[in-house]
Amino acid sequence: MSRTVLERLERLPRRDLTVLSLKGISTLVPGGWSNLTSADRLIREVIGSDDPELVRQVRARADQLSLARHEGYERALSLYDAVNRSQHATGGLRVLANVTAGVPLLKRIASVTPPGDTLQAVDLSLKVGAELLAFTQVNGLPGDSFADFGAALADYAGEARVRMAALVCFDGLLPLGDQALSRLDGLLGAAGSGDLRKLPAYGRMAALIPGRSDSEHMNFLRRGVDQWLGWAGGFVSQLGLTGQRAVQALESTLGPWQGRMDQLAAFLDAFTDTYAHTGVQAVARRLVERAAAEI
Amino acid sequence: MSRLLRWVIGITIAVTLIGGAILLLPFSTWLPGGTVAEISTREVVNGTEFNALFPSAAAGESVVFTQEKRGFSEAKLKHDGQVTALLAISDTVTAPEARTKFAAVQTRLKGWPLVDQGAQASALLVADRFQVKVIGQGSGLEPERRHELLGAFDLQALAALQPAAASRGRLAKAAEPRRLPPASGEQLPQLELKSAAPQPAS
Repeated sequence: MSRTVLERLERLPRRDLTVLSLKGISTLVPGGWSNLTSADRLIREVIGSDDPELVRQVRARADQLSLARHEGYERALSLYDAVNRSQHATGGLRVLANVTAGVPLLKRIASVTPPGDTLQAVDLSLKVGAELLAFTQVNGLPGDSFADFGAALADYAGEARVRMAALVCFDGLLPLGDQALSRLDGLLGAAGSGDLRKLPAYGRMAALIPGRSDSEHMNFLRRGVDQWLGWAGGFVSQLGLTGQRAVQALESTLGPWQGRMDQLAAFLDAFTDTYAHTGVQAVARRLVERAAAEI
Repeated sequence: MSRLLRWVIGITIAVTLIGGAILLLPFSTWLPGGTVAEISTREVVNGTEFNALFPSAAAGESVVFTQEKRGFSEAKLKHDGQVTALLAISDTVTAPEARTKFAAVQTRLKGWPLVDQGAQASALLVADRFQVKVIGQGSGLEPERRHELLGAFDLQALAALQPAAASRGRLAKAAEPRRLPPASGEQLPQLELKSAAPQPAS
């Protein structure tokens, strides 16, 4: 629990399903992605120097900052963890429903699992909401005006392009189809606060979301998603992302896939940690940038 | 008697469970407090105050604010969308060890001690408290350009900043950590120079 951000960075997997699927998605994004798991390399990259004494100082400062609860770095990570656990749980249920749907005696399991696009849409909005909350925990509210804040958000999203591409593809385009972004608002409108309650991550996030009731939280999430949709729409059309292209990109690293797209999405949800993985890397970079400026 | 025993056992179990829950469950990350170096946030200047002091962008460049916390504000200097430098102001109250590197330096910029850290970073200590730093990113920046950027910050206004606690008449308390910087031998001439340095006209 009291592991620092940089320790968590160094414990990230070098090569597993998560890393392979991120590598696959990164082929769609210009600039690519390297799986950064070495704290020292990150520090050297940020300060532009190999001096071991400087690296040691930055690291000590980064550890001090990440242990200070007030600074929010750990809190951002626990948000990512909560969302990740929720994703595993719902993904696992969907995989189970898919598997058992073909077995006559077990068909009933498929009918009790929460299916459907609405739940997927709420899950995506929860992830976008978590992203916004984590952003304010890590970066505060940068700048003096709303325009400054918007620029900071866009900059952050640009830095984490592969992370956003993974979010758009795995939680939007694959399970909801190519029209995911335009359908999202309608789906969220149809979702009641009961759908929110069905997601395990919501319980842990509820205290951090502004508002006192489930419906207020839902409102916050919808507003957050509205903000994000504007950006994500441009991102998708700029890179020409579609479900088909995402599957092709994933096949280049994971091997051939012959099922439906939403099955692939369920499989990835259940067995990968892309959200938490890239989250730790993004937080670590911001933390090191701060520590380097403070030593 | 068995009834008394039952009560005792019941209460013991309840106390153990509650005690265990408080000690073992990860509540601590959600509690308030836990500030950097255990210094009260009121003694640290808020990052909002630093924002206005950053240099304004030249033609073809843009300054994008990226982080703002208690005692810290950071922006990226971008040229044609590429990040060329990190610009930051921090309050060294929470990091007194950061001041040691300025103790013996002779180089000055606008009257404040200037240090180059490694190949890409330059730092300035203003009013013996605020550290202004420029770190070259990507292909890097020449030292002259970094120093020029440092000089473009509004250093006079920065030197005049005070933490919220101090302005409410807690000057002595807020100033205490300031008097403690290491390298005691170098401290006296440093202080003299400080008073000779340009002070705000307020």
